[in-house]
Amino acid sequence: MSAGAVVEHDARTDEAYEGFTCVRLLAGPLTAATAPALRAEVRAAIELGRTALLLDLDAVTGVDAVGVAALLEARRLLEAHTGGTLVLRANPIVCRALKETGTLAAFALWTGPGM
Amino acid sequence: MIAVEPRGPDAPPPTAPRPPESGVVISRGTRVHLRTLVPRDLDLLAAWVDDPFLERMVGSEFLNSYKHVWDKSPAFYEAVLTDPTQVVLVVEANQRWDRPVGVVRLFNIHLLEGYAFLETIIADPRAMKRGFGIEAGKLVSYYGVDVLGLRRIEAKVYEYNVLSMNSLRRNGFRQEGVLRQAGFDGERYWDLVIFGILRDEIEAQRQKDKVHLPLEPSEGNGREPA
Repeated sequence: MSAGAVVEHDARTDEAYEGFTCVRLLAGPLTAATAPALRAEVRAAIELGRTALLLDLDAVTGVDAVGVAALLEARRLLEAHTGGTLVLRANPIVCRALKETGTLAAFALWTGPGM
Repeated sequence: MIAVEPRGPDAPPPTAPRPPESGVVISRGTRVHLRTLVPRDLDLLAAWVDDPFLERMVGSEFLNSYKHVWDKSPAFYEAVLTDPTQVVLVVEANQRWDRPVGVVRLFNIHLLEGYAFLETIIADPRAMKRGFGIEAGKLVSYYGVDVLGLRRIEAKVYEYNVLSMNSLRRNGFRQEGVLRQAGFDGERYWDLVIFGILRDEIEAQRQKDKVHLPLEPSEGNGREPA
C-alpha cells in the first residue's frame, strides 16, 4: 500500500471477483479529503485497461457529497469504455448515502463472493 | 499494482490514514484557501452561532442546526462530515490571519440533477470587505462544477444584506427573483432575494478571473427593481 493511500488493490483480483479488478477502500470516510485518491485510482486502473472494476466499500465509515460524486464519476469514466463496468460492494452506510442522494439506482451492487 | 499485506478473512480492514488535524486544502486562491472541516473548528462555530450580527445577516440553517438541533455537540462534526447532501469548507486567509475567517458550503446538493445551494459566511468582522467572501464563493463554485459536476448554483440573501448581494454579482450570479416577506428577523418580515448561476456562466467567470480590490466600487446597490 502506498503511503497516504486510502485505497488498495486486492492481489487476488480476477479469479476471486469473476473477472473484475477489485479496488478496496481502506477503513475510513470517503469525503472531500479522501475522494481525490479514489478518483486517481480509478483513472489509473482505466489507463491500465482495467475497465471492469469492483469497488469494495465495505470498510467505508461515512460518505459525503464529494464521495458520492467520485463514485458517479468512476461510473461515467468506466462506462465510456466498451465493456466498462463499475460494481459497488456497499455496506449499509454507503447504501444509505446513495439512497439519500437518489443515486442508488445508478449503481450496480455486488452480490458475489464476500457478500 | 499496489502491494497488499496478507491478511485473513476475519482480520479488520486496514485503516486509511487520518487527514491532518489542520484539514486538507481543497482549493487555493490569491487571498483565501478552502480546507476541510476539522473537529477543533467547532470551537469557532460555537462562537459564531451566538453572534447576533451573523444571525441577522446570514440566518444560517447550518449554524442554527449546530446550536439548536445539536446543542453544540461534538457529534455535529461527524454528522457534517458524512452528510451526502452538503460540503462544508473552512475559509482561511492566506496571510496575516491566525484563525479561520469563515465557512462556505454547498448544501441541498442534487448530484444527479446537478444543482446545489451556496452559503458563504465571513464571520470575523475584521475580515469583511476584504474580498475574502467573494473569493471563497468563487472557489467553491469552481469546486462545485469541477468536482461535483454541478450545472447550477443558487443562493438566497436577505434584502438588507447588500454586501452579500454585491459579492454574488461580482461572481457572476444573477438575481432571479424575490421571495416576498419570506424571512423574519424577530421583529419584522423581509424579502429574500434569489440569485443563481449556471455552469457556463461560472466558466465565463473563470476565464476573466481577476482580483477585485476591496475599494473597487460595488457593481450594484442591493436588490434590483422588480
